[in-house]
Amino acid sequence: MEFDGTTFALEIINFLVLVWLLQHFLYKPVTTIIAQRQAGIEKALADAQATRSEADAIKRQYENRAAEWGQEKARASQQMQQEIAAERSRLMTALQASLDEERNKLRAVEQRRAAEQRQRLEAAARAEGGRFAACLLSRLASAELEERIRRLLLDELPQLPEQQMQVLRSAGQAEEVKITSAYALDEAQRAGLVAALDRLAQKPVACTFEQDPELMAGLRLSLGPWMLRASLLDELKFFAEADHAGTKR
Amino acid sequence: MASSSSFITEVFRIGPLTITNTVVVTWGIMLVLTAAAWAATRHLGLSPGRWQVMVEGIVAAIEEAIRAVLPDHYRQVMPFIATLWIFIVVANLVSLIPGLRSPTGDLSLTAGLAILVFLAVHWYGIRSHGLKSYLRHYLQPNPILLPFHLISEITRTVALAVRLFGNIFSLQMAALLVLLVAGFLAPVPVLMLHIIEALVQAYIFGMLTLIYVAGAIQSQQLKHNQKKE
Repeated sequence: MEFDGTTFALEIINFLVLVWLLQHFLYKPVTTIIAQRQAGIEKALADAQATRSEADAIKRQYENRAAEWGQEKARASQQMQQEIAAERSRLMTALQASLDEERNKLRAVEQRRAAEQRQRLEAAARAEGGRFAACLLSRLASAELEERIRRLLLDELPQLPEQQMQVLRSAGQAEEVKITSAYALDEAQRAGLVAALDRLAQKPVACTFEQDPELMAGLRLSLGPWMLRASLLDELKFFAEADHAGTKR
Repeated sequence: MASSSSFITEVFRIGPLTITNTVVVTWGIMLVLTAAAWAATRHLGLSPGRWQVMVEGIVAAIEEAIRAVLPDHYRQVMPFIATLWIFIVVANLVSLIPGLRSPTGDLSLTAGLAILVFLAVHWYGIRSHGLKSYLRHYLQPNPILLPFHLISEITRTVALAVRLFGNIFSLQMAALLVLLVAGFLAPVPVLMLHIIEALVQAYIFGMLTLIYVAGAIQSQQLKHNQKKE
């Protein structure tokens, strides 16, 4: 146990040098690298936390957006349903109107067809009646019937419309009244007719007489375009051509 | 263990300076530690290998132990305390190598370390609180305690030096005596005890130093805090 001053001093210096050497070559590099790693870990944690926060924010944003989309979808669906209902109602109304119009058209066409059919049937009935009456009257026609028709004509001549009387009265001297009969008229019958015409025309009228068996019975008086029919044939024609009961000769 | 290596011997002289085997072994330890530190920290990376993990583990453990005592000033005192621990452990264990003697078995070295600790305690205390504030703590809680404070400073420094020297020297002597008396393999248990004793003494020396430094720093700090409150 001896104390050496040189060793004592050198050991103090040695230790201080060793402190500097280890500080330079060991503590400082190791603590620096540990601090760098710690900083890196903290930075990675901070980045991860920031990334997580950002992801959470994005997640919340997308959830909100999805909710808004859902609401928008519901609104659009409801609006679309309303528009579909309105369009359906409008189309149904239009279709109903079109159907009503088409039904009215069909009804009018049907009515027109029925009227035409009725007219055809009436015309056919009249033609059939005319043929039947002609057949019947041709068998009943006779001179006596003609005489009766001539008397009837003479009775009704004064009751002719004033317009027809003016035709007779305005006839010239050269114009003749042609009197056609189914049977031959004797002189008395012809004189009676001429006298009646003279009275009607209020002047002497020239008359010519013809016989036409087609008339079956009766007379036909004609002066130019004016014609007065009083025969069975003409009556049957009137009957066949008349379309309604209101038709007059 | 040669008998010549168990005692302090002169290796060479540089003028009036006598270089003993204690100094030479210390230089060797310094060389080895520096080379090991340089090799260990030459390729440090953020993805550590096994060797880097071990070195970082040692440094982190020392730093954590110091931080537990001095949480606010651990960076400041860490080089000194850590170097004490590392150097004393290696110096204590170097006698396990045949032909070498622990330099800590030389009172000159342990006294030098104790003087360094003595100076470091005051250096850190004055650096933290200023000269007047630091010296004032010798008068507290009562100026009458100043002699006791001074005696305590001297005795604890002497105790540091003698405790380390006595334990290591006695272990070496005990191993030498057992080897001389019992034979070739008998000192093995003693050498195993030597390992434990080397670690314990290094820990005690460093921890006491840390406590002394912490006492110098925190004694004034506590008073400052009490005044603020």
